[in-house]
Order: sequence, then C-alpha cells, then structure tokens
Amino acid sequence: MSVLARSVGNAFRNKVRTAAVVAVLAVAIGLALAMLVANQAVTGKVAELNASVGTVLTVNPAGGQGFEGGGEPLTSAQATTAAAVPNVSSVVGTKALRLRNAAEIAAEAASGRTGQGGPGGQSATSVTTSLTAAVDAGTLGNRNQASTGTTGSTASGTGTTAAAPAFSLPITATGIGAEVDSTGKALQLTQGTGLGNYTAASTGALLGTTLAEKNGLKVGSTFTIQEKTFTVQGLFDAGTAFGNNALYVTLPTAQTLAALPDELSTMIVTVNSMENVDAAKTALQAALGSGKADVTQGQRNLETAVSSLDSVKNISFIAFVAALGTAGLIILLIMVMLVRERRREIGVLKAIGAPNRTIGLQFVLEALVLVALGSVVGAAVASLASGGIASALISSSSSTTAATGQRGGPGGFPGGQGGPLGGASQLLTSVTASASPGVIAAGIAAVFGVAIIGALVPALLTARIRPIEVLRGE
Amino acid sequence: MIEVKNLVRTFKSGDRTIKPVNDVSFELEQGTLASIVGKSGSGKSTLLSLLGALDKPTSGDVVVNGVSLASMPDGKLTNYRRRDIGFVFQQFNLIPNLSAVDNVMLPMEFSGMRKAARAERARQLLEQVQLDPDKHVRRINRLSGGEQQRVAIARALANEPKLILADEPTGNLDEQTGEHIIELLSTLSRDHNTTILVVTHDRALANKTDRRFRLQQGRLTEEPVRTRATAALTG
Repeated sequence: MSVLARSVGNAFRNKVRTAAVVAVLAVAIGLALAMLVANQAVTGKVAELNASVGTVLTVNPAGGQGFEGGGEPLTSAQATTAAAVPNVSSVVGTKALRLRNAAEIAAEAASGRTGQGGPGGQSATSVTTSLTAAVDAGTLGNRNQASTGTTGSTASGTGTTAAAPAFSLPITATGIGAEVDSTGKALQLTQGTGLGNYTAASTGALLGTTLAEKNGLKVGSTFTIQEKTFTVQGLFDAGTAFGNNALYVTLPTAQTLAALPDELSTMIVTVNSMENVDAAKTALQAALGSGKADVTQGQRNLETAVSSLDSVKNISFIAFVAALGTAGLIILLIMVMLVRERRREIGVLKAIGAPNRTIGLQFVLEALVLVALGSVVGAAVASLASGGIASALISSSSSTTAATGQRGGPGGFPGGQGGPLGGASQLLTSVTASASPGVIAAGIAAVFGVAIIGALVPALLTARIRPIEVLRGE
Repeated sequence: MIEVKNLVRTFKSGDRTIKPVNDVSFELEQGTLASIVGKSGSGKSTLLSLLGALDKPTSGDVVVNGVSLASMPDGKLTNYRRRDIGFVFQQFNLIPNLSAVDNVMLPMEFSGMRKAARAERARQLLEQVQLDPDKHVRRINRLSGGEQQRVAIARALANEPKLILADEPTGNLDEQTGEHIIELLSTLSRDHNTTILVVTHDRALANKTDRRFRLQQGRLTEEPVRTRATAALTG
C-alpha cells in the first residue's frame, strides 16, 4: 500500500466525521468560489462600462443643441483641438440634417403655406428626400409644429379656413465620422454592413429598421436625398421608435448635402478611462472655450454604477479571501486534531523506521483528499449559488447607494429615470455571474494552495513526536 | 556485535528520580538469542527502548557493530531502526485500519522495496508465523490477540534486521503457537545470524535462549543457562 492509498484510506477511516468535514469544507469552498465568480463577473462589467458610454463626452455649440438654440456652429478645427486634449482617445464629429419629404414640401408650396423655418440657427440644413417618416406626427408632433410657427394653415386672402394637408415629421439624417450613434454607442446593425470609411464621401446609408420598413426598403435598395441617389447598405436597430426613424451617412456626405463642408453639429469625445473623465471634461471645455462650446457628460450616473460595482468587486474579493482563509483554517484545525488523535500511530510508524517526510506527506495527502471532496461539492454549490449571491451583493450595494442619493448626500442623484440611479441600476442588475470552468479551476487551485499550507503545519508537528513518548504509555 | 556501556536512564517523578536502567553493561555477539527476565516495572521495556534507539540514555552508550548510537543524529537513528532493528511490542502496535499484509509491508515500503516484492515477502512471513492465508487481508481490528501478535512478529522480521527486540513475544499466544514462535526465533538467530533479545516472563522461552539476564531495580545480572547444544543433548 502506497502513501497515497494509505492517505485515501485514512480520509475515510471515520465516515461520519469525513462527511461532516467535507460538508463544512464544501460550504467554505463553495462560498469562496461563488465570490470569485461574482468578482470576475463584476470586474468584467466594470471594464465594459469603463470602455463604453461611461467615458463619452458630448460637445455641442455653446447655446445650441441638436436643432434647438443658437450660437456658432462647431468646426473641424475644433475637433482637431479636442483630439489634442490629454486623455482624449477619440473624437467623432457629427453633422445633423433634417430631411423632409420632397412631395410634401411641394404640396405645401402649392397651398401657399410657409415652409420649414425651424427654430435656432441650424434650419438651413433642412433638405429634401424621397423618404417618408416612419413616425406619425400625432398630437405631440402637430402641437410642436404649431408652437414653432411652421404649420401656417390659414389660406391668405380668402377669409376661409382651408383643411391642412397631413403633416409628417422630419427625418433626422446624421453624418458620422465612425460607426457609432449620436451618443457614441456602437450602431447595432441588424442587416447589411457598415459604411466602411466614415471620413470619406459615399453614396451609402444606414437606415433605421422602421424607416426602411415604412418606405419598403431593404439592403441594396435606393432612395434620394437632395435628388441624389443613395443605396441602403445596412439596417440598424436603435431600440426606440424615434431612433429608428433616422438614417446615417458618412460625415463628409452630410456636410456636402448641407453645403457646409467644415461644419459639425456635435462632437463625440471618448476619454481613455472613467477616472479621467472629469479632468478631460474640464480640459476640453478650457481648450474649446466656454463661449464657443458646451461640454456635457452624457450618462453621468454611470459613475455611480461603476462605483457600486467597484464596491461589489471589493466586497466579493474580500469575501473570497476570507472564505479561502476559513477553508485553510478548517483544514489546519482538522489536521491538528487528527495528528493529536493519531500520536500513537505516528510513534509506531517512526519506531519501525518511517521518515518524517513520509509521515508528513501522508497527512498532507489526507488533507488534500478531504479538500478534493469538498471542492467537488463546493463547485456544485458555487455553480448554483453564484448568480444569486452576485445579485444579492449588487442589489444590496445599489440600494445602499440609492438610499444615500435620496438623503441628498454626496454621490446621490436626483430621480427622473425611474429611480435614484436611473439607467445605472439597470446596468447593475444586468451583471450575470456564470461559473465558468476557468474561474472555478482557478478558485480550486487557490483552495488547494491554501489547503497545502493549512496541512503543512500539522504535518510538521508530526516531526516533533518522539516514538518513545507515545509508546511509553504501554 | 552489540556493546552496552554503563547505560543509565533516569526519569523525574515529582521530587523523586527513578532509575529504571542503572549502569547496565553487557555485550552480545551477533547471532545470540538472549532473554531478559524481571518483575514488572523493573526497567526491561526501558532497556529495550534504549537498545532500539527509541529513547536516548541519560548517560552511557550503545555501540552496534562499532557505531555509537549516542552520537547519531535523529535521521540516522531512523535509518538504524528501519534497517537494523525489528521490534515486537508488548501491545503489538499495529496500524488498526490496515490489513495484516499491509502492516507487514510497511517497514519494507519505508525501505523502498518494490510493491510486488514486498507483497510476496509479507505473504511468506505471515505463513512463517502460521497466520491463516484467509486472514492475510483481514483488518487488524478483526484479528484475535494471538493473531495480532503473529502479525507483529512478521512485521519485525520484514527487513531482515540484524537485531530483533521483542517484548513478551509469546505473551498472547497459546502453548503450541508459542512453541512455534520460539522455534522460529531460535532458527533466525542460528541460521540467519540474527541477534535476538527478548523480554519475557515465559520460563520456557527464557530457558531456550543462549544467555539469560535478570533486571532488578535497574541493575542487570546474567544468570547461567543451558546452552542450546546442551539442551539438545539433554532434551
């Protein structure tokens, strides 16, 4: 019988005790693995958030936003200035156009109604298209049009009130310098391909799914803007009815259509990390001048989300280390107990010539057998419980943050998006902790490492046992 | 050859100092079968522990084939016990959750013998001590006292030691098995040149040894015995 076989046999010498030890170890190991899985999931999510919208700044002309307000338009030179600001990793310019159906404009002209004037200084970029908006104007659209004075419906000189033709909403066309939407998020293409080089003029366009459906278009179909033919190269899903009533072309194309080759509506500035967003925002505002550009951080509450996730990450890591330490301590105590219980046996083995290393190895292997059994059960526990534990940690963390926000303390945010954290809480709950084999294997390796350390102490204690001390009792 | 020189072992018991082994000196030629008799508590087992390097003397020395045990480090004492000594303990001291054959194989495993070789030798030794073959794989705690005694003797013989120290080796055996064990020990000392020192209350065993010592209050005296040759002649 080898040392290993003897160790396995010893591990099952007292089956009831072995079952109890394995159960206790399984709880500690399971908890350690679940915490590791939660930690990995949250770490991944934090990295994802840091790399995405949480680091995006939006630059608008000072006093203007979209088709509202006034001020001076942004220019390509300002984009170059923004790109040179420290910690700025990319600058994407956009040029927004307001497309109106050519047939409707012709009808309005025939009926003598005023055309689209639009508020603010950007109405000059309104252009005609063969497309029809996918969103009905409805009450809100007609009220908005009325308030901006663009729907004069009274026929002049007749003294009678003519029935106004059906009004349709304009379509927003955005020229972009990269394959992102106007908030900086990557476009979710459902069909076709992107536009390739977004910094060159092109006749390709990406259409929102509902806009394409409304106009009976698919990938490869054509339509016109300013009587120029464009081909649908891809369809995207923005996730909202308004967002899908839009199209994207390359930035130079939009600037050409608007006949404003150097002008930008907005700049989407990506900062290299979440930590540098505040500093970059200040530097960007200073570089562009507060009278010429407004720099805003789109989803400020993401900082809170990341902060909460960081807390969860730290808590789960500490809990992992604590559970790992507990497993090691359990092994240490169990093995100390076994060594004390088997002092006589150890003495006999030494009396018949067993070297200290053989006896020590026998106890370490016995401990590893118990840990292996505990790890199997613990891994099963972790695979079942890690999702729940991660959710519990995250919900606990987010509710704590929410409570802080409601008290108006530092870091709190006003309501408005369905809760104190708004969209951030959705990001928090979207963390999915799945026990991947790699993470479980890494966790079990750590458990075995700690178990070896825990078992070495009692194994070394066996070297101090002198055979005569335990045999003298006879 | 074993030389025991002025061996003393003292223990403290409260204010008293006990000397179970008090200035013991003797020599044993290789291949001698010797016995130590004496009352309970006279220090017989302590003397065996000193000879087997399980304990260290307060003073004096044991020299085995010219090598002093007093100056040996612990690691070499372990090698000495493994290679040169076979113990038969009074309480057998077998590993309870192992089978008879596994217990006998243990000293051979510590010596690095291959598994197949040690299994074969263990089986032969158990046959020599007349343990039923169907009990070879039985766990120790399912064997009778006499059977355990035989396994303990087989284990002591495992590494073919130069010196066998046996504490009451026939104490738990019936008369017939006891006779067989005495014969086995006698054969070992005679044919294999093994030195055997037994502590015993068994007069039959003591009378069959080459030399007989009596330990009284820690002091050793030698008693005259019939030699094996004389015993054979007179029956």
